[in-house]
Order: sequence, then structure tokens, then C-alpha cells
Amino acid sequence: MTRFIAWRILQLPLILAVVYLITFALVWLAPGSPYGNNDRALSEAAKNDLKVRFHAESWEKFLTYYPWQIVAHGDFGPSLSYEGWSVNDVLRSSLPVSISLGLLSILIALVFGCAAGVTAALHRGGILDFLSLAAALIGISLPPFVVAGMLIVIFSDGLHWLPSGGWGEFRHMILPGVALALMPMAYIARLTRVSMLDTLGHDFVRTARAKGLPKRTVVWKHAFRTAFLPVFTYLGPATAYAMTGSFVVETVFNIPGLGQHFVNGVKNRDQTLILGTVLVYAAFLLVLNLFVDIGYALIDPRIEINARPE
Amino acid sequence: MIRLLSIPVILAGLVAAAVFWSHDSGDSQRADFAFVNRGDNKCLDPNGMSWMQDIRIAYALWEGLYTPDPVTWKPVLGTADRATVDSTRTVWTIHIRPDARWSNSDPVKAGDFIFAWRRFLETPGEYTALHFYIRGARQYSADFADYFAARQKGDTKRAAPDFGSVGEKALDDQTIEVTLNDPVPFFPALLAFPPYFPMNEASMQPFKEKDGLHYNQKFTRPPYLVTNGPYRLAEWSFKRRLRMVASDYYWNRASVKSRVIDQIYAEDGTAAFRTYERGDVDWLAELDSDLAAQILAHGKRSDLHIFPAFGTYFYSLNCLPTLSDGRHNPLSDVRVRRALAMSIDREPIVKNVGRLGQPISFTYVPPHVFEGYVSPAGLPYDVARARRLLAEAGYPDGKGFPHLPILYNSEGLHGDIAQIIRRQWLDNLGIQMDLQGVEVKIFGEMQHTQQFAVSRASWYGDYADPSTFTDKYKSDSDDNEAKWNSPEYDRLCALAAKETDPQKRLDLLSRAEGILLNDAPIIPLYTYVNSYMFRDQVKGLPLLANAMLMFQPVHVIRSDDGKSSQ
Repeated sequence: MTRFIAWRILQLPLILAVVYLITFALVWLAPGSPYGNNDRALSEAAKNDLKVRFHAESWEKFLTYYPWQIVAHGDFGPSLSYEGWSVNDVLRSSLPVSISLGLLSILIALVFGCAAGVTAALHRGGILDFLSLAAALIGISLPPFVVAGMLIVIFSDGLHWLPSGGWGEFRHMILPGVALALMPMAYIARLTRVSMLDTLGHDFVRTARAKGLPKRTVVWKHAFRTAFLPVFTYLGPATAYAMTGSFVVETVFNIPGLGQHFVNGVKNRDQTLILGTVLVYAAFLLVLNLFVDIGYALIDPRIEINARPE
Repeated sequence: MIRLLSIPVILAGLVAAAVFWSHDSGDSQRADFAFVNRGDNKCLDPNGMSWMQDIRIAYALWEGLYTPDPVTWKPVLGTADRATVDSTRTVWTIHIRPDARWSNSDPVKAGDFIFAWRRFLETPGEYTALHFYIRGARQYSADFADYFAARQKGDTKRAAPDFGSVGEKALDDQTIEVTLNDPVPFFPALLAFPPYFPMNEASMQPFKEKDGLHYNQKFTRPPYLVTNGPYRLAEWSFKRRLRMVASDYYWNRASVKSRVIDQIYAEDGTAAFRTYERGDVDWLAELDSDLAAQILAHGKRSDLHIFPAFGTYFYSLNCLPTLSDGRHNPLSDVRVRRALAMSIDREPIVKNVGRLGQPISFTYVPPHVFEGYVSPAGLPYDVARARRLLAEAGYPDGKGFPHLPILYNSEGLHGDIAQIIRRQWLDNLGIQMDLQGVEVKIFGEMQHTQQFAVSRASWYGDYADPSTFTDKYKSDSDDNEAKWNSPEYDRLCALAAKETDPQKRLDLLSRAEGILLNDAPIIPLYTYVNSYMFRDQVKGLPLLANAMLMFQPVHVIRSDDGKSSQ
């Protein structure tokens, strides 16, 4: 186990370096310049001055300066479009927002998705199964911006229960959290249902039932624990989705998260900001997947990581 | 089971921790006046400033020697208490008021202005050209760039150019002497514009970078930023809130009505509108144009204020003999340009696409914003004449006219307008054009490097003089994207620059505009409008064409419902 983790952790910087280089090649080759606003032509002198200031006169200059700064000082450099701010400032301000929103939505997705999936499996073919299928279909089909708009119309404009935007208190998080949770929730519900049906047919469940254990114990302690494994595998990518895929939801609810910088950085050709956000996201994905693999071993006794054939 | 349950429990714990981590520790008290600016702040260093939303904030934080009158926007004395100009109208002697103070209580000195102005020449920004009215400034800026480049390459022997050759001097701590190349009648308006604001060198010193020239822009953030205007920067949370608090040391504190002003960020037009509707802000500086059109269509709301802006929407025609792809450029023929200009009916553009009652326009300089300035008539909408001109140029009924692209950025309404114009040129002249919509960053680059035949364009004025528009099409201007070159136009602009009689000067500029319109490197379409939203309780907020404001007189009359912050 330790060896496995160490091996994976050793891979991390290598993968990140490759990600950095590929992203850099793409942003450097993309047409359009990060400097200046678009109505007014920036004089050559002013443009050169900015390039000198940002160590971006040439790709060699850029690559010999910034990667070293990241490795040595953890400094992603200044943002090229928000001049008063460094990329680290931007990340420090927006990453916590995206993480808390992403975690909340995964929590919602997990709890309600699993509950819906188990209920559907237990009432196979019944009205509850049908309802859960319908809800899941809607959740998978509706894009987040439609869901977000509907939530605002119903809960904010109509019922006045929750604010339609902003950030600062827990109540601001609920609508965006739900909007973001719907898709993974639907997916989890379907995964749980299929997996649960499969598990309920297994001998060990029948044995448990035959022993006279109460239904609740059989379902949750024996069947669900096994049925949960595919869901758990999905949690890694789902969490990454919830933390990175929130651009639309952030825009609709006016939330100062990282998703917008991911998109606006590209729009503004903000090379340092793009590289910073991509690296952070990549690191997140890698770490989350590692966690899932470790967690897998903790949950499922059948999986023994050390038993890797060498 | 316990292990399984631990997943949601751990998640919930993480959520709680993250919520705590992601929330502001900032003061949540409602400001006396809150607004949504037109976009994000990009840069609060006057040296690098060019975005409108930053300039708006600059007027609150700094004050020039002159300052705009909050109602009329005419320059009046600000940080200076007297200013005199000699008989040649080129040497200004300006005296700083003794009670002028920085937000850290230091006195404002003549050297603070010279420091800021010198920076514009040594580390050029988008508005550096506005300093070239000063004698020797252009030369010094060019020499300094050469010197700095040589020094970067390791040439340490090269001497720095002599700043003494530039006509800006601090005679003593209170007195500045400026020597201009020409009499610049609008020099007070320039002095009231952010590129002429002072900077506090002492507070910037810790942020000086290794090259000894640039400053880490962190100095523009609180608590480091020291300014001399009615407000100081109290808080700037990235993409959340920017808070300004009345300066304790501003000389004219009595004029400041709202003590705390918040700028709330809302990127998306609809989200911004919701913020306003919730009552979280008192003023929406730009309502999304689709929403504004919807509100107008449903009967006007009394809190929607639409009024002409300080900007013109037009089409720009490439005047170079060859296009960037090497083909001959038919638009280099003035008859073709005129034909294109005279075959556009502007009404359907503003009625169907603009939808905010934008005034259609046949002139480049927006009407009624410069007192005493009258634009010439411009080319009318006259299809018959347009067809004759096109035939004379060798393209009867558009025959033989090459396929040219119409360049625009795909954001907003530009694509819809391009379609209308393409259709009109096809119907009226028999010319087939292609649409080329690109992302705004690519658009800007293509436009500034003449990779277009026809391009959507716009221009907003900066200061209260028509030259803020006419300068753009001088043959040596960086902003002359059409690469139109008219010696007569240049001559008239130069004459106007030397003219000391204000009315004669305006007449010269008007004649220059006449040449521009007749030669048609550009086709004016309509005057932009501003769309503000604010309720009747908001007082002191002017509807100025340039969409600027001085914050001092702005305040909100709050009803006594016990909830108001005052």
C-alpha cells in the first residue's frame, strides 16, 4: 500500500510537467495577445514594456522564468489581464469558493443519489422506481444553466426562500449547490440502482435474509456496501467535475469561483492565469483519483493493492 | 457500515471547513452607495489604465491639478489652487493648494506629479501619447526606450537620456511649470484626466522591481495604495467587492456626501440586473442591452435611464492598396468607399438590432457633446448615387467586385448588424461580402494589423475636445486602423493644434472631419447610448455622455424603515 502510494505520488510532478508544457504550447500558439484592450491600439513601446515586465518577450524567456518560479517559490507569477493581482492571489481567492461549492454539491448528489437508487432498486418496476428513473433522466438531460434558471425562478423569484446570487453565507450556496449536484446525483442514482439490483440477487444477501436479519440491516449493511463500489469509483471524476465544471453555475449565481477564470483566462489570453488554473485542476484530478484508489482498498476488503504482480 | 457512513460525514465536515475558508472576513455592513460597474477592474495604476471601469474608480481615488465639475464635467481647479498661462499659451505655471494631502496625510507636492508624468514616458501605457503635448516628451520617451533596451542587453555604459529636456518641472514643492509644443486649449481637461494624476512615490518604493523601473502592481491594493482624491481604497477583494471610504485628508471633504462606496462585482448581465433588483446595489452602470430592450418594449420603467453616449459605432474600410492576403484592395478607391457608405440604411440597424433608440449617425464626432462644435453633414443614404459611383469605379451593378470579408467580433450584436449591412450591400449594390466573426482578442489583433477589408469599429472619446476623436485618423496615429492617409486632414489638425482662438480651432477640426467623412475610410452608423438603472432616491448621479461621474455629490435618500444603514 505504502509503496503504491509513494509510486503514485512520484508520478505526480512528471504528469504535471507534461500538462504544463502542453498547455503552454497551446496558449502560446493561440492567436490574439493578452495585452491591451481591444478598442485602442497598444503602441509597440507599451507592448514591449509589458512583455519585459511579464518576462514574456519570447517563449524561451517565459519557460526559463515561470516554471522555475513555480517549483522554487510556488509562485505562478502575475496575472496578465488583472494587473494588480498575481495568479496566486486569484487562486487563493477563488479556489476555496469552488471547492466548497463542489464538495457541497457532491454531498447532496451522494446522499440523495444513493437514497434514490436504493429505493428504486427495492421497488423495482414500481412507481418509485419509475419516478426515480424520470428524475434521473431529467437530471442528466438538463444542462446546469437551465436548472439554475429554474431554481432561481421557483425558489428565489417565486417563493423568496433563497437568494438568487451572491456569496458570503451558507444560504447563498444552496441553490448553486443543488444546480451543480443534479447531474452527478442522477448518475449516482442510476449507478446505485443497477449495482444494488445486481447485489440483491447474490447468495450472501439471500443468506443474510435467511438468517432472519432485519431488512434494514440486510439492505444497508450487506447489500449496499458492495453495491456502493461503482459509485465510489465515480466519486473521483464527479468531484473533479463539480469543482471544475461550475463555470455556468458560477456565472448565473454570480459566485467568485475559479471556474470563471478557467474560461475568462482563455478569453483574455491570460497565459499565466491559464497555466495556473490548469495546473491546479490537474493536480486536483490526480490527487482525487489517488484518494479514490486508496479509499477503494479501505472499503472493499476484496481489493488488496499490495498484491500487484511485479 | 460505519466506514461507509464516514464518507458523507467526512464530506460534510469538509464542506463546513471549506465554507468557513471561502467566506470573507470583510465588513458586511451595507455601504452608503453601492453600484455594479461596467465590468471588472483590471488595473488601478493610472500608468497602465485604459478600461472605462478603472478610470471611473480613478476619479474617486485621485485628483488632478484640475478636476471635472461633477455636473458639467468642465475642468475646474482641483489639487491646484491657481494656474496661469503665458501669452504664447504654451507655458503653464500651476500652484498646488497648500491643504492638498495624500490619504496618508503627507502633503501633495509638485514632485508627485512630475514623478507620475515621467513614468508615462519611461514605462509607456496606453495613454502615453497624451503626454506628447509636452515639449520634448516624445523624444525623451523614444530615447529612454532605446536606453532601457540597451541596458537590458547588458550595455551599462550607455547614458540615460536627460529628463531635463522635457518641459515639465517642479519649480518648488508647490509649483509646476509645464511647457507645451503648441497652445493646447484643452490642457486643463487633460490635467483632469487620470493619465495626469499624481502618484505617491514613497508608498510605491517597496514594490519596485529588480529592473529599477517597474513596480509590482501589488502597490495598487489596500492597504498599500496611497491616493490624493476624495476617497481612499479600503478593500479590494478579487471579483467580489471594491470598497472606497472617504479620505480623512482630502482638502474638500465637505463635498463628499457618501462616506462608504462599494463596487459589487457581477460579471453576467442578468446576474447584475438581479443584484440591482434585490436592492443590493443602488446603481447599475450598464444594463445588459437585451434586458434594456425588453424593459423598453414592456413600457419604460422610471429607473431605466437611456441617454446618448460619448462614442460612435461605425464601419472601418481598409484604405491600403493591397489587402493582407496580397489581393488588390478595391476599397483603396475613394469612389468605392463612398458607394459603400451611401448604400447603408441605418434605420433598421438601430430599430431591429440596437433597440435602445440609438441616434443614427452620418458623422463621426457624436453630436451635442462639444459646445460650439458642429459636424459637417456627412454622406447621405443615396442608393442611386452609390450605384453610379460604383459603376464609375469599374464595378457596374457590383460586377467584378471581389468577395471581401466583413470582420467583427462575435460577442454581442455585431454579427446581427453585419448581416443587415451585408444584405443591404447585396441588394443595393450587387456586392457579395462574407461574414467573418472572430473572438474579440483575435478581432483586436486583426484590426490593428489591417487583416481586414471591412471591419466593425467604435471609438469613445476621452476628454472634452473633438480632437479626442479626430486625432485617431491622423496618418501617424497608432489607432488609425483604416490606414487612411490624407495630408489635408493632417494639415487641418495641425493648424487646429496651433490655433489659439477657440472657435476658429473648432471650425478647423470640423473641416477636418468633413474631409474624413467625404473620403469615407469610415462609415458612421449610430451614436452609442448609455443605459443606467437607478431609482429616484439616488441623488447627484449625472447622466453624462462619457458615462463618468464624480462620486462626491452622489448619495441615496433612504427611507426610515429602520433597516437603512444611515
